[in-house]
Amino acid sequence: MEPARIFPCVLSVFMSLILDRFAVLAAFSQAADSDFTFTLPPGRKECFYQTMKEDASLEIEYQVLDGAGLDVDFFISSPSGHLLFNDYRKSDGVHTVEALEMGDYMFCFDNTFSTISEKLIFFELILDNMDMAEDPDDWKEYIHGTDMLDMKLEDIMDTINNVKSRLGKSVQIQTVLRAFEARDRNLQESNFDRVNLWSVVNLFVMVIVSAVQVYLVRSLFEDKRKNRT
Amino acid sequence: RKTLLSVLTQGVNTPGALYFHIGETEKKCFIEEIPDETMVIGKYRTQLWDKQTTSFLPSTPGLGMHVEIKDPDTKIILSRQYGSDGRFTFTSHTPGEHQICLHSNSTKMALFAGGKLRVHLDIQVGEHTNNYPEIAAKDKLTELQLRVRQLLDQVEQIQKEQNYQRFREERFRMTSESTNQRVLWWSIAQTFILIITGIWQMRHLKSFFEAKKLV
Repeated sequence: MEPARIFPCVLSVFMSLILDRFAVLAAFSQAADSDFTFTLPPGRKECFYQTMKEDASLEIEYQVLDGAGLDVDFFISSPSGHLLFNDYRKSDGVHTVEALEMGDYMFCFDNTFSTISEKLIFFELILDNMDMAEDPDDWKEYIHGTDMLDMKLEDIMDTINNVKSRLGKSVQIQTVLRAFEARDRNLQESNFDRVNLWSVVNLFVMVIVSAVQVYLVRSLFEDKRKNRT
Repeated sequence: RKTLLSVLTQGVNTPGALYFHIGETEKKCFIEEIPDETMVIGKYRTQLWDKQTTSFLPSTPGLGMHVEIKDPDTKIILSRQYGSDGRFTFTSHTPGEHQICLHSNSTKMALFAGGKLRVHLDIQVGEHTNNYPEIAAKDKLTELQLRVRQLLDQVEQIQKEQNYQRFREERFRMTSESTNQRVLWWSIAQTFILIITGIWQMRHLKSFFEAKKLV
Protein backbone atom coordinates (compact mmCIF):
# COMPACT_ATOMS: atom_id res chain seq x y z
CA MET A 1 0.00 0.00 0.00
CA GLU A 2 1.33 3.40 -0.94
CA PRO A 3 2.10 5.91 1.80
CA ALA A 4 -0.33 8.34 0.26
CA ARG A 5 -3.16 5.94 1.10
CA ILE A 6 -2.00 4.86 4.54
CA PHE A 7 -1.98 8.35 6.02
CA PRO A 8 -5.66 9.19 5.38
CA CYS A 9 -6.63 5.77 6.68
CA VAL A 10 -4.71 6.22 9.92
CA LEU A 11 -6.10 9.70 10.32
CA SER A 12 -9.65 8.52 9.78
CA VAL A 13 -9.25 5.76 12.37
CA PHE A 14 -7.82 8.32 14.77
CA MET A 15 -10.75 10.64 14.19
CA SER A 16 -13.31 7.91 14.65
CA LEU A 17 -11.81 7.05 18.00
CA ILE A 18 -12.00 10.61 19.24
CA LEU A 19 -15.25 11.73 17.71
CA ASP A 20 -17.54 8.91 18.73
CA ARG A 21 -20.49 10.52 17.03
CA PHE A 22 -19.01 10.56 13.60
CA ALA A 23 -18.77 7.17 12.00
CA VAL A 24 -16.14 7.23 9.30
CA LEU A 25 -16.86 4.53 6.82
CA ALA A 26 -14.47 4.93 3.96
CA ALA A 27 -15.92 1.83 2.36
CA PHE A 28 -19.59 2.83 2.50
CA SER A 29 -20.74 5.66 0.30
CA GLN A 30 -23.75 5.63 -1.94
CA ALA A 31 -23.55 6.34 -5.62
CA ALA A 32 -25.48 9.22 -7.09
CA ASP A 33 -28.24 7.13 -8.61
CA SER A 34 -29.95 4.13 -7.15
CA ASP A 35 -33.10 2.23 -7.87
CA PHE A 36 -35.01 -0.32 -5.85
CA THR A 37 -37.92 -2.65 -6.55
CA PHE A 38 -39.88 -4.08 -3.64
CA THR A 39 -43.25 -5.60 -2.79
CA LEU A 40 -45.64 -3.65 -0.63
CA PRO A 41 -48.12 -5.93 1.15
CA PRO A 42 -51.77 -4.85 1.42
CA GLY A 43 -52.62 -2.49 4.26
CA ARG A 44 -48.97 -1.53 4.78
CA LYS A 45 -46.94 1.63 4.44
CA GLU A 46 -43.23 1.55 3.64
CA CYS A 47 -41.02 4.57 4.25
CA PHE A 48 -37.53 5.34 3.03
CA TYR A 49 -35.26 8.11 4.19
CA GLN A 50 -32.58 10.01 2.31
CA THR A 51 -30.08 12.31 3.94
CA MET A 52 -29.68 15.51 1.97
CA LYS A 53 -27.16 18.31 2.14
CA GLU A 54 -28.21 21.91 1.62
CA ASP A 55 -28.65 22.99 -2.01
CA ALA A 56 -28.62 19.41 -3.18
CA SER A 57 -31.51 18.22 -5.28
CA LEU A 58 -33.23 14.89 -5.39
CA GLU A 59 -35.29 13.53 -8.21
CA ILE A 60 -37.50 10.60 -7.37
CA GLU A 61 -39.41 8.58 -9.92
CA TYR A 62 -41.67 5.70 -9.00
CA GLN A 63 -43.92 3.23 -10.80
CA VAL A 64 -46.30 0.55 -9.71
CA LEU A 65 -45.33 -2.57 -11.65
CA ASP A 66 -47.84 -5.16 -10.45
CA GLY A 67 -50.89 -5.50 -8.28
CA ALA A 68 -54.60 -5.03 -9.03
CA GLY A 69 -55.36 -1.41 -9.81
CA LEU A 70 -51.66 -0.55 -10.28
CA ASP A 71 -51.93 2.40 -7.89
CA VAL A 72 -50.36 3.52 -4.66
CA ASP A 73 -50.36 6.57 -2.39
CA PHE A 74 -47.08 8.44 -2.23
CA PHE A 75 -45.88 11.38 -0.17
CA ILE A 76 -42.60 13.15 0.58
CA SER A 77 -41.97 15.09 3.77
CA SER A 78 -39.07 17.31 4.77
CA PRO A 79 -36.95 16.76 7.89
CA SER A 80 -39.11 19.23 9.81
CA GLY A 81 -42.26 17.30 8.95
CA HIS A 82 -43.69 19.49 6.18
CA LEU A 83 -45.52 17.58 3.50
CA LEU A 84 -43.81 18.44 0.22
CA PHE A 85 -45.68 16.26 -2.25
CA ASN A 86 -48.72 14.06 -1.92
CA ASP A 87 -49.93 11.70 -4.65
CA TYR A 88 -53.20 9.93 -4.21
CA ARG A 89 -53.56 6.53 -5.93
CA LYS A 90 -51.30 7.23 -8.84
CA SER A 91 -49.62 4.53 -10.88
CA ASP A 92 -46.43 6.46 -11.56
CA GLY A 93 -44.94 9.81 -10.73
CA VAL A 94 -41.85 12.01 -10.88
CA HIS A 95 -40.91 14.61 -8.26
CA THR A 96 -37.90 16.84 -7.82
CA VAL A 97 -37.09 17.90 -4.29
CA GLU A 98 -34.88 20.93 -3.73
CA ALA A 99 -33.19 20.47 -0.37
CA LEU A 100 -33.80 23.79 1.37
CA GLU A 101 -33.07 22.28 4.74
CA MET A 102 -30.39 19.80 5.62
CA GLY A 103 -31.55 16.51 7.07
CA ASP A 104 -33.36 13.31 6.37
CA TYR A 105 -36.14 13.54 3.81
CA MET A 106 -38.77 10.84 4.14
CA PHE A 107 -40.78 9.40 1.28
CA CYS A 108 -43.44 6.78 1.78
CA PHE A 109 -45.52 4.42 -0.31
CA ASP A 110 -48.91 3.74 1.19
CA ASN A 111 -50.99 0.68 0.31
CA THR A 112 -53.40 0.91 3.25
CA PHE A 113 -56.39 1.55 0.99
CA SER A 114 -56.10 -1.95 -0.43
CA THR A 115 -57.04 -5.00 1.64
CA ILE A 116 -56.08 -7.84 -0.65
CA SER A 117 -53.72 -6.80 -3.40
CA GLU A 118 -49.97 -6.65 -2.97
CA LYS A 119 -48.21 -3.98 -5.01
CA LEU A 120 -44.83 -4.28 -6.70
CA ILE A 121 -43.22 -0.84 -6.60
CA PHE A 122 -40.15 0.43 -8.41
CA PHE A 123 -38.49 3.74 -7.51
CA GLU A 124 -35.38 5.53 -8.66
CA LEU A 125 -33.44 8.24 -6.86
CA ILE A 126 -31.21 10.69 -8.71
CA LEU A 127 -29.08 12.92 -6.53
CA ASP A 128 -27.37 16.13 -7.61
CA ASN A 129 -24.83 18.39 -5.93
CA MET A 130 -24.29 16.04 -3.07
CA ASP A 131 -20.53 16.73 -2.95
CA MET A 132 -19.54 13.12 -2.64
CA ALA A 133 -16.84 12.93 -0.02
CA GLU A 134 -14.70 10.77 -2.22
CA ASP A 135 -14.61 11.89 -5.83
CA PRO A 136 -14.94 8.55 -7.60
CA ASP A 137 -13.35 9.87 -10.73
CA ASP A 138 -10.28 11.32 -9.09
CA TRP A 139 -7.98 8.51 -10.05
CA LYS A 140 -4.82 10.55 -10.46
CA GLU A 141 -2.93 8.79 -7.72
CA TYR A 142 -3.93 5.30 -8.86
CA ILE A 143 -2.76 5.45 -12.43
CA HIS A 144 0.50 4.40 -13.91
CA GLY A 145 2.52 6.26 -16.48
CA THR A 146 1.69 9.49 -18.20
CA ASP A 147 -0.04 10.20 -21.41
CA MET A 148 1.72 11.92 -24.28
CA LEU A 149 0.20 14.97 -25.96
CA ASP A 150 -0.58 16.74 -22.68
CA MET A 151 -1.89 19.76 -24.56
CA LYS A 152 -4.80 17.93 -26.17
CA LEU A 153 -5.44 15.75 -23.15
CA GLU A 154 -7.80 18.17 -21.49
CA ASP A 155 -10.02 18.29 -24.56
CA ILE A 156 -10.09 14.53 -24.78
CA MET A 157 -10.91 14.31 -21.09
CA ASP A 158 -13.77 16.75 -21.51
CA THR A 159 -15.18 14.75 -24.36
CA ILE A 160 -14.87 11.55 -22.41
CA ASN A 161 -16.65 13.08 -19.45
CA ASN A 162 -19.37 14.24 -21.76
CA VAL A 163 -19.78 10.77 -23.22
CA LYS A 164 -19.79 9.28 -19.75
CA SER A 165 -22.59 11.50 -18.56
CA ARG A 166 -24.63 10.81 -21.66
CA LEU A 167 -24.17 7.10 -21.19
CA GLY A 168 -25.25 7.53 -17.61
CA LYS A 169 -28.40 9.18 -18.83
CA SER A 170 -28.93 6.28 -21.25
CA VAL A 171 -28.70 3.87 -18.37
CA GLN A 172 -31.30 5.86 -16.44
CA ILE A 173 -33.66 5.89 -19.38
CA GLN A 174 -33.11 2.18 -19.83
CA THR A 175 -34.05 1.62 -16.21
CA VAL A 176 -37.25 3.56 -16.65
CA LEU A 177 -38.14 1.72 -19.83
CA ARG A 178 -37.44 -1.55 -18.10
CA ALA A 179 -39.89 -0.61 -15.39
CA PHE A 180 -42.58 0.30 -17.92
CA GLU A 181 -42.05 -2.95 -19.78
CA ALA A 182 -42.19 -4.94 -16.57
CA ARG A 183 -45.47 -3.32 -15.72
CA ASP A 184 -47.01 -4.07 -19.10
CA ARG A 185 -45.77 -7.60 -18.96
CA ASN A 186 -47.20 -8.18 -15.49
CA LEU A 187 -50.49 -6.75 -16.66
CA GLN A 188 -50.61 -9.06 -19.64
CA GLU A 189 -49.71 -12.08 -17.58
CA SER A 190 -52.50 -11.36 -15.18
CA ASN A 191 -54.85 -10.91 -18.13
CA PHE A 192 -53.80 -14.28 -19.42
CA ASP A 193 -54.53 -15.92 -16.07
CA ARG A 194 -57.87 -14.21 -15.83
CA VAL A 195 -58.94 -15.28 -19.32
CA ASN A 196 -58.03 -18.89 -18.57
CA LEU A 197 -59.81 -18.94 -15.25
CA TRP A 198 -63.02 -17.35 -16.37
CA SER A 199 -63.24 -19.42 -19.56
CA VAL A 200 -63.12 -22.63 -17.58
CA VAL A 201 -65.60 -21.31 -15.03
CA ASN A 202 -67.87 -20.20 -17.86
CA LEU A 203 -67.77 -23.65 -19.43
CA PHE A 204 -68.74 -25.37 -16.20
CA VAL A 205 -71.51 -22.88 -15.51
CA MET A 206 -73.02 -23.34 -18.95
CA VAL A 207 -73.01 -27.11 -18.76
CA ILE A 208 -74.45 -27.16 -15.26
CA VAL A 209 -77.10 -24.58 -16.05
CA SER A 210 -78.31 -26.44 -19.12
CA ALA A 211 -78.49 -29.71 -17.21
CA VAL A 212 -80.35 -28.04 -14.33
CA GLN A 213 -82.81 -26.44 -16.74
CA VAL A 214 -83.65 -29.72 -18.36
CA TYR A 215 -83.99 -31.43 -15.00
CA LEU A 216 -86.32 -28.76 -13.64
CA VAL A 217 -88.59 -28.79 -16.63
CA ARG A 218 -88.79 -32.55 -16.50
CA SER A 219 -89.55 -32.56 -12.80
CA LEU A 220 -92.44 -30.14 -13.30
CA PHE A 221 -94.10 -32.56 -15.65
CA GLU A 222 -93.28 -35.65 -13.59
CA ASP A 223 -95.22 -34.33 -10.59
CA LYS A 224 -98.26 -33.38 -12.67
CA ARG A 225 -98.44 -36.86 -14.15
CA LYS A 226 -98.24 -38.39 -10.69
CA ASN A 227 -101.02 -36.18 -9.38
CA ARG A 228 -103.34 -37.04 -12.26
CA THR A 229 -103.12 -40.81 -11.85
CA ARG B 1 -3.85 16.46 -0.11
CA LYS B 2 -7.28 16.50 -1.71
CA THR B 3 -8.08 13.01 -0.44
CA LEU B 4 -7.00 14.03 3.07
CA LEU B 5 -9.41 16.94 3.08
CA SER B 6 -12.20 14.79 1.68
CA VAL B 7 -11.69 12.19 4.40
CA LEU B 8 -11.89 14.91 7.06
CA THR B 9 -15.15 16.26 5.66
CA GLN B 10 -16.52 12.75 5.43
CA GLY B 11 -15.88 12.45 9.12
CA VAL B 12 -17.97 15.52 9.91
CA ASN B 13 -20.93 14.93 7.65
CA THR B 14 -22.93 11.73 7.77
CA PRO B 15 -22.79 9.80 4.50
CA GLY B 16 -25.78 10.39 2.25
CA ALA B 17 -27.28 6.92 1.97
CA LEU B 18 -30.86 5.75 1.64
CA TYR B 19 -32.11 4.14 4.83
CA PHE B 20 -35.25 2.51 6.16
CA HIS B 21 -36.45 1.02 9.42
CA ILE B 22 -36.92 -2.65 10.02
CA GLY B 23 -38.63 -4.47 12.86
CA GLU B 24 -37.14 -7.38 14.72
CA THR B 25 -38.84 -10.22 12.88
CA GLU B 26 -39.47 -8.23 9.76
CA LYS B 27 -38.06 -9.26 6.42
CA LYS B 28 -37.48 -6.67 3.74
CA CYS B 29 -37.06 -7.85 0.18
CA PHE B 30 -35.84 -6.04 -2.90
CA ILE B 31 -36.11 -7.27 -6.44
CA GLU B 32 -33.38 -6.73 -9.00
CA GLU B 33 -34.17 -7.56 -12.58
CA ILE B 34 -30.84 -8.14 -14.27
CA PRO B 35 -29.37 -9.82 -17.35
CA ASP B 36 -27.14 -12.89 -16.97
CA GLU B 37 -23.43 -12.75 -16.00
CA THR B 38 -23.98 -9.49 -14.15
CA MET B 39 -22.32 -8.84 -10.84
CA VAL B 40 -24.27 -7.24 -8.02
CA ILE B 41 -22.68 -5.80 -4.89
CA GLY B 42 -24.83 -4.87 -1.92
CA LYS B 43 -23.57 -2.87 1.03
CA TYR B 44 -25.50 -2.16 4.20
CA ARG B 45 -24.90 -0.45 7.51
CA THR B 46 -27.10 -0.81 10.58
CA GLN B 47 -27.84 1.50 13.48
CA LEU B 48 -29.84 0.74 16.57
CA TRP B 49 -32.23 3.07 18.39
CA ASP B 50 -30.89 3.87 21.84
CA LYS B 51 -33.54 4.95 24.34
CA GLN B 52 -31.08 6.64 26.69
CA THR B 53 -29.67 9.05 24.16
CA THR B 54 -32.88 8.92 22.04
CA SER B 55 -30.84 8.60 18.91
CA PHE B 56 -29.37 5.98 16.69
CA LEU B 57 -26.06 4.49 17.77
CA PRO B 58 -23.46 4.32 15.00
CA SER B 59 -22.80 0.59 14.92
CA THR B 60 -24.06 -2.16 17.14
CA PRO B 61 -21.70 -5.06 17.61
CA GLY B 62 -23.33 -8.45 17.85
CA LEU B 63 -26.33 -7.46 15.79
CA GLY B 64 -26.18 -9.02 12.37
CA MET B 65 -28.34 -9.28 9.31
CA HIS B 66 -29.23 -12.42 7.45
CA VAL B 67 -29.06 -11.99 3.71
CA GLU B 68 -30.89 -14.38 1.40
CA ILE B 69 -30.76 -14.09 -2.37
CA LYS B 70 -32.98 -16.07 -4.72
CA ASP B 71 -32.54 -16.43 -8.46
CA PRO B 72 -35.42 -16.14 -11.00
CA ASP B 73 -36.27 -19.85 -10.45
CA THR B 74 -36.68 -19.15 -6.71
CA LYS B 75 -33.59 -21.18 -5.93
CA ILE B 76 -31.49 -19.79 -3.11
CA ILE B 77 -28.08 -18.73 -4.36
CA LEU B 78 -26.85 -17.00 -1.22
CA SER B 79 -27.95 -17.37 2.36
CA ARG B 80 -25.52 -15.95 4.87
CA GLN B 81 -25.22 -14.06 8.10
CA TYR B 82 -23.29 -10.85 8.11
CA GLY B 83 -22.30 -8.49 10.91
CA SER B 84 -23.81 -5.13 11.65
CA ASP B 85 -22.03 -3.72 8.58
CA GLY B 86 -21.93 -6.04 5.66
CA ARG B 87 -21.13 -6.41 2.04
CA PHE B 88 -22.54 -9.18 -0.09
CA THR B 89 -21.94 -9.94 -3.73
CA PHE B 90 -23.27 -12.35 -6.29
CA THR B 91 -23.21 -12.88 -10.04
CA SER B 92 -26.34 -13.80 -11.93
CA HIS B 93 -26.24 -16.88 -14.16
CA THR B 94 -29.76 -16.65 -15.50
CA PRO B 95 -31.44 -13.43 -16.57
CA GLY B 96 -34.49 -12.40 -14.61
CA GLU B 97 -35.81 -11.19 -11.29
CA HIS B 98 -33.47 -11.85 -8.42
CA GLN B 99 -34.80 -11.30 -4.94
CA ILE B 100 -32.57 -9.92 -2.17
CA CYS B 101 -34.05 -10.37 1.30
CA LEU B 102 -32.72 -8.95 4.57
CA HIS B 103 -33.79 -9.69 8.10
CA SER B 104 -32.05 -9.25 11.40
CA ASN B 105 -30.71 -12.27 13.22
CA SER B 106 -31.23 -10.77 16.63
CA THR B 107 -32.36 -13.22 19.29
CA LYS B 108 -31.74 -10.85 22.16
CA MET B 109 -35.07 -9.10 22.64
CA ALA B 110 -33.44 -6.44 24.80
CA LEU B 111 -31.57 -4.96 21.85
CA PHE B 112 -34.80 -4.27 20.06
CA ALA B 113 -36.67 -2.82 23.02
CA GLY B 114 -37.10 0.43 21.14
CA GLY B 115 -38.35 -1.58 18.19
CA LYS B 116 -36.38 0.06 15.43
CA LEU B 117 -33.31 -0.85 13.52
CA ARG B 118 -32.10 1.59 10.90
CA VAL B 119 -30.58 -0.03 7.82
CA HIS B 120 -28.62 1.96 5.24
CA LEU B 121 -28.59 0.10 1.96
CA ASP B 122 -26.80 0.49 -1.32
CA ILE B 123 -27.02 -1.96 -4.20
CA GLN B 124 -24.75 -1.59 -7.21
CA VAL B 125 -25.29 -3.53 -10.40
CA GLY B 126 -23.07 -4.36 -13.35
CA GLU B 127 -20.64 -1.70 -14.43
CA HIS B 128 -21.00 0.20 -11.14
CA THR B 129 -19.42 -2.73 -9.31
CA ASN B 130 -16.08 -2.27 -11.04
CA ASN B 131 -13.34 -0.89 -8.88
CA TYR B 132 -11.47 1.32 -11.31
CA PRO B 133 -8.49 2.17 -9.13
CA GLU B 134 -7.94 -1.56 -8.79
CA ILE B 135 -8.25 -2.14 -12.54
CA ALA B 136 -5.81 0.68 -13.21
CA ALA B 137 -3.30 -0.89 -10.87
CA LYS B 138 -3.75 -4.40 -12.24
CA ASP B 139 -3.54 -3.55 -15.94
CA LYS B 140 -1.20 -0.59 -15.48
CA LEU B 141 -3.34 1.91 -17.33
CA THR B 142 -2.84 5.60 -17.93
CA GLU B 143 -5.69 7.93 -17.05
CA LEU B 144 -6.93 8.16 -20.61
CA GLN B 145 -6.91 4.40 -20.97
CA LEU B 146 -8.75 4.02 -17.71
CA ARG B 147 -11.48 6.45 -18.70
CA VAL B 148 -11.93 4.80 -22.06
CA ARG B 149 -12.10 1.42 -20.31
CA GLN B 150 -14.88 2.77 -18.11
CA LEU B 151 -16.80 3.98 -21.13
CA LEU B 152 -16.41 0.58 -22.73
CA ASP B 153 -17.77 -1.12 -19.61
CA GLN B 154 -20.69 1.26 -19.52
CA VAL B 155 -21.55 0.59 -23.14
CA GLU B 156 -21.21 -3.16 -22.63
CA GLN B 157 -23.64 -3.02 -19.73
CA ILE B 158 -26.14 -1.06 -21.81
CA GLN B 159 -25.79 -3.58 -24.60
CA LYS B 160 -26.39 -6.49 -22.22
CA GLU B 161 -29.46 -4.81 -20.82
CA GLN B 162 -30.76 -4.21 -24.34
CA ASN B 163 -30.32 -7.85 -25.27
CA TYR B 164 -32.14 -8.88 -22.16
CA GLN B 165 -34.85 -6.35 -23.00
CA ARG B 166 -35.30 -8.02 -26.36
CA PHE B 167 -35.72 -11.40 -24.68
CA ARG B 168 -38.31 -10.03 -22.26
CA GLU B 169 -40.19 -8.21 -24.97
CA GLU B 170 -40.43 -11.45 -26.92
CA ARG B 171 -41.87 -13.25 -23.91
CA PHE B 172 -44.29 -10.40 -23.41
CA ARG B 173 -45.38 -10.56 -27.02
CA MET B 174 -45.91 -14.32 -26.79
CA THR B 175 -48.11 -13.94 -23.74
CA SER B 176 -50.13 -11.20 -25.41
CA GLU B 177 -50.64 -13.19 -28.57
CA SER B 178 -51.57 -16.29 -26.64
CA THR B 179 -54.15 -14.34 -24.62
CA ASN B 180 -55.50 -12.82 -27.77
CA GLN B 181 -55.88 -16.21 -29.43
CA ARG B 182 -57.46 -17.74 -26.39
CA VAL B 183 -60.05 -14.97 -26.20
CA LEU B 184 -60.93 -15.49 -29.86
CA TRP B 185 -61.14 -19.29 -29.70
CA TRP B 186 -63.05 -19.27 -26.48
CA SER B 187 -65.69 -16.89 -27.88
CA ILE B 188 -66.17 -19.14 -30.90
CA ALA B 189 -66.29 -22.25 -28.72
CA GLN B 190 -68.76 -20.61 -26.38
CA THR B 191 -71.12 -19.72 -29.21
CA PHE B 192 -70.81 -23.24 -30.53
CA ILE B 193 -71.51 -24.80 -27.13
CA LEU B 194 -74.52 -22.58 -26.59
CA ILE B 195 -76.03 -23.53 -29.94
CA ILE B 196 -75.39 -27.24 -29.39
CA THR B 197 -76.79 -27.10 -25.86
CA GLY B 198 -79.89 -25.28 -27.10
CA ILE B 199 -80.52 -27.84 -29.82
CA TRP B 200 -79.96 -30.73 -27.41
CA GLN B 201 -82.30 -29.22 -24.84
CA MET B 202 -85.08 -28.73 -27.37
CA ARG B 203 -84.73 -32.21 -28.79
CA HIS B 204 -84.59 -33.85 -25.40
CA LEU B 205 -87.64 -32.02 -24.10
CA LYS B 206 -89.54 -32.68 -27.33
CA SER B 207 -88.91 -36.43 -27.06
CA PHE B 208 -89.78 -36.25 -23.34
CA PHE B 209 -93.12 -34.59 -24.01
CA GLU B 210 -93.87 -37.01 -26.81
CA ALA B 211 -93.12 -39.90 -24.45
CA LYS B 212 -95.44 -38.43 -21.85
CA LYS B 213 -98.12 -38.02 -24.53
CA LEU B 214 -98.41 -34.29 -23.98
CA VAL B 215 -97.65 -33.28 -27.55
